Amino acid sequence: MAAWFILLTVGLPWLGGLSVWWVGDKRPGAQNTLAVGFSVVAGLVALALLPFTSDAVVLRLPVGGVFGEFTFVSDGPGVFLAIIATVIGSLAVIFSVDYMRGEAQLGRYYALVLLFIGAMAGLVLTASLLLLFFFWEITAFCSYALIAFDNDDPKAVSGGIKALIVTSLGGIGLLAGALAIHAHLGSYQIGVFLAEAHRLPPTTLNLIAFGFILAAAAKSAQVPFHTWLPDAMEAPTPVSALIHAATMVNAGVYLLARFYPAFESVPGWKMAVVAVGLLSALLAALMALVSNDLKRVLAYSTISQLGYMVYAIGVGAVFASQFHLLSHSVFKALLFLGAGAVLHAVGTRDMREMGGLGRQMPFVRAVFVIGALALAGLPPLNGFWSKELVLEAGQANGPEWAYLGMLTGAGITALYTFRAVWMVFYAEPRGDRHAHDAPAAMRVSLGVLSLGTLSTWLLAGPFGHLLAASLPLHTLHVLPTFEVTAEVITAPATIVAMAVIALGLLLWLWRDWLAWLSNLLRGPARAATGDFGFEWLNRRVISLTQGTATVLQITQTGQLNWNVLGIVGALLIILAIMAWGA
Amino acid sequence: MLYICLAVGAIVCAIQAIRVSRLVASALWLAGASALVSITFYMMGAQQVAVIELSVGAGLVTVLFVFAIGIAGEDALDARSLLPRPLALGLVILSSLLLGWLTLPVIDIGVPHPELPFASVLWQQRGLDVLVQVVLIFAGILGVLGLLAEAETPEEARAVEREPAEVTLPERDDELAMPEPTPERIHA
Amino acid sequence: MMLSPLNVTLIAMLGLLAVGLYGLLVARNLIKIVIALQILVKAATLALVAASSASGQINLGQSLAATVIVADTVVAVVGMALAVQVRRRFGTLDVKALSTLRG
Repeated sequence: MAAWFILLTVGLPWLGGLSVWWVGDKRPGAQNTLAVGFSVVAGLVALALLPFTSDAVVLRLPVGGVFGEFTFVSDGPGVFLAIIATVIGSLAVIFSVDYMRGEAQLGRYYALVLLFIGAMAGLVLTASLLLLFFFWEITAFCSYALIAFDNDDPKAVSGGIKALIVTSLGGIGLLAGALAIHAHLGSYQIGVFLAEAHRLPPTTLNLIAFGFILAAAAKSAQVPFHTWLPDAMEAPTPVSALIHAATMVNAGVYLLARFYPAFESVPGWKMAVVAVGLLSALLAALMALVSNDLKRVLAYSTISQLGYMVYAIGVGAVFASQFHLLSHSVFKALLFLGAGAVLHAVGTRDMREMGGLGRQMPFVRAVFVIGALALAGLPPLNGFWSKELVLEAGQANGPEWAYLGMLTGAGITALYTFRAVWMVFYAEPRGDRHAHDAPAAMRVSLGVLSLGTLSTWLLAGPFGHLLAASLPLHTLHVLPTFEVTAEVITAPATIVAMAVIALGLLLWLWRDWLAWLSNLLRGPARAATGDFGFEWLNRRVISLTQGTATVLQITQTGQLNWNVLGIVGALLIILAIMAWGA
Repeated sequence: MLYICLAVGAIVCAIQAIRVSRLVASALWLAGASALVSITFYMMGAQQVAVIELSVGAGLVTVLFVFAIGIAGEDALDARSLLPRPLALGLVILSSLLLGWLTLPVIDIGVPHPELPFASVLWQQRGLDVLVQVVLIFAGILGVLGLLAEAETPEEARAVEREPAEVTLPERDDELAMPEPTPERIHA
Repeated sequence: MMLSPLNVTLIAMLGLLAVGLYGLLVARNLIKIVIALQILVKAATLALVAASSASGQINLGQSLAATVIVADTVVAVVGMALAVQVRRRFGTLDVKALSTLRG
C-alpha cells in the first residue's frame, strides 16, 4: 500500500506535467485545471502516507547490478518533506492560476513546476544515494529552467545559470560522497551507510562529511554559496515560493539531518556546520536590512532562517531543526505568495515606491502581517515555538559565542521584518499606484497558509513522535505538544529572545531618534549591499566557467567524422587501459 | 578451412563495400558480406538466426538500399575524406589488434547446455526483448512516416518543390576543416 | 593459438569491426555511413553468436542476435528515409556540407 502511495506521490506530478504539456498552450483553462488537479491529488496522496511511516524499505526497483537497487522508504523526515513539497506545491500552483493569467507558454511553466514537485518528493522519499543524486540534479535543472522562465530577460537568464552552476558544483560533493561510500561499503543504500559508517577509514569519512556539507550549503544557499538565491528572485513569484521557500532549499537541510548519525563523530564537522549556519544567519540578516527590493528581503531572510536550521543540526538538535523547517516552509511560502500578490497588483518590487498599500489591500496586509510575525518569532505563531527550540538547544549544547550570534540574528530578523512590513503596507504612499486586492485563487492559497502559520506548532508532539519512531539511528529529543510548549515558555532563553525581538521592534519605532546610529553604520551597510564581497567572487567563478566552455567550443566542429574519431579514440584508450591492467 | 574462406570473404566484401564509389555497387557488396556472415552463423550451429540474417540483411536491407539510392540519386562530389586516411586506418587497426589481444584465444567448451528450443527462449525467456523489438519497429514506422510525410502547409510544399541548388563547398577543403566563421547558406 | 573455427570467426569479427569503423571515419556520403553501420552490426552479431557457441547456449545467443538484427534494420530504414528527405530538402548527401547548415 505504502509502495503505491510513494509511486503516486512522485509519479502523479510528473504525469500532470506531461498532460499539461500535451494539452497545449491554446487551452489555458484546461492547463490550469489539470495542473491544480494533479498537484492537489499528489498532496492528498502524500498525506495518506502518514499512517504508513516506518523505517522499513517499502519499494524496491531492481535495476541491475552496478546501480544497486532503487529503493524508497517512507520514514518520518521523508514523508514530512514530501507532504510539504506537494501540499505547498499545490498551493503555489493554485496561486499561479491568477498570477500567471495571460502569460505565454503556460504549458512549459506548469510542466516544469510539476516536474519539480515530483522530483522533490522523490528526493526525500528515496533510500538510495544514487537516486538521491539523480533527483537532486533534476531539482537543480528545474530551478534553472523556472528562474530563467522569462527567457527574454537577460537578468533572469543569468540568474538561472548562476543557480545552476552553484548548485551543480555542490552536487559534485554529493556524488563524490556517494561514490566513495559505494567504493568502501559496496552499497548505495542510505540505511546501510548510516549503520556502517564507523567502518569507513577516517580520512574517507571526513571527505564524505565535508563533501556533504558542500552539497547542502550550495543547495540551501548557505554562506559562501548563497549568492544564487537573491538573484533567483527573477523567477515568477509562485516559483520563488515553491523553490526557494518551501521545497528545494530544504533539500540541503534534509541531507544534513538525514546523515547526521553518520557524521556527528567526525572531528570538526559539527563545528563547521555551526559556523556555516551562524555566518549565514547573521550575514543574510544584515543584507536583508539594507535591501530595498521586497523579494530580495525575503530571499535573504530565507538564507538566514536556513542558517538557523543548519545551526540547530550542528548543535545536535535534529528535531528542533526539522520543526523549524516545518514552520519556515509554511510562513515563508505565505510571505512569498503575499509578496506575489503585492507585486502583481503594484508592478514593482522596489519597496521605496510602495507604501500605504494596507488600505487598498486589506486581505493581503492581514496575511502578510501574520507571516511577518511568524518570521520575527512572536507568539503564538509557529515561528516563535520553533525558533525558541532552536535557540534553547543552541544555548544548552552549543558554544556560547554561536548562541549570542544567533540571538543577535533574531533581533535583526525582527528589525528587517518590521521595516519591510512598514515600508510596504503602512508608510505614506510614495508612488501613485492603484493596487487591487488579491483575486480569488490567490486568496485561497494565502488563506490556507495563514491558517497553517497559526496552527502548525500544535503538531509538535505528533511530529516529534513521527520522527523518533522512524529514525532508529538518530537520538531525538521529543515530547508531546503540551510539554514542548511548556518547555519553551518556561525556558530562560525564551525571555532573552523576546527581549531581543522587542529591542528590534523598538529600534524600528525609534528610527528617527536613532538616525545618528545609522549614519555610524553606513560603512558596514555599504558592505552588506555589496554582499560582503561574495558577489565578486561568484562572478569570477561564473566567468571562469563560461570562459572555459567557450574555449572548449573548438572541439565541437559539427563534423560527423570528427565525432566518430572521438568515439574511436575513446575506444582505443579504454582498450589500452584494459590491456595494461590485464 | 571453410571458416577461413568465409571469414576472408566477408572481410573482403566489407572492404569493397566501403571502397567502391558507386553506391549501388556498395550495397551489393554489403549483401555479399551479409550472405557470407549468415553462412558462418549456420556453420556455428545457429540456424535460425542464419535464416534471419540472410533474409533481412542480404535481402530486405539490400532492396531497401537500392530503392533509396534510386530515389535519392547519386552524388558525384564525394572524394577526399575529412580525416587523413592513414590516421583513420592506424587507429582502427590498433583498436582491433588490442581487442584481439584481449579476447583471443577463446577456449571452445563446445558442450551444449541443456536448453529450451529457440522459440521458447526467444518468446519466453527473452520476451521483454521481443516487446522492445515491437516498440522499436513501431517507432521506426512512425519516424519514417513523419519523415516522408506530405507537406502540411502550402509554404512547406513550395519549400520541398523548389530546385535543390548547387552546393558550393569551401576551397580549403583539407583535413579536419573547422566550420568557417561565415558558413555557406544552403538554400532549400 | 589454435585456428579453431571459433577463433577464426572471432578474427572475422575483428576484421569487420575494423572495416566498419574505418568506413565511419572516412565516408562522406550519408548512405555510405549507413552501410558502414550495417557492417559494424554484423560484427556485433558475429561476436554474439560466437560467444554463445563457445559457452554452449546457442539459443540464447540467437535470440539476442535476432533482436540486434531487428534493431539495426530499423536504424537502416530510418536512416534511408532521412537520406531521402535530406537529399530532397538540401540537395546534397555530403556530410561536410550538411554540417555547416544554418537553419
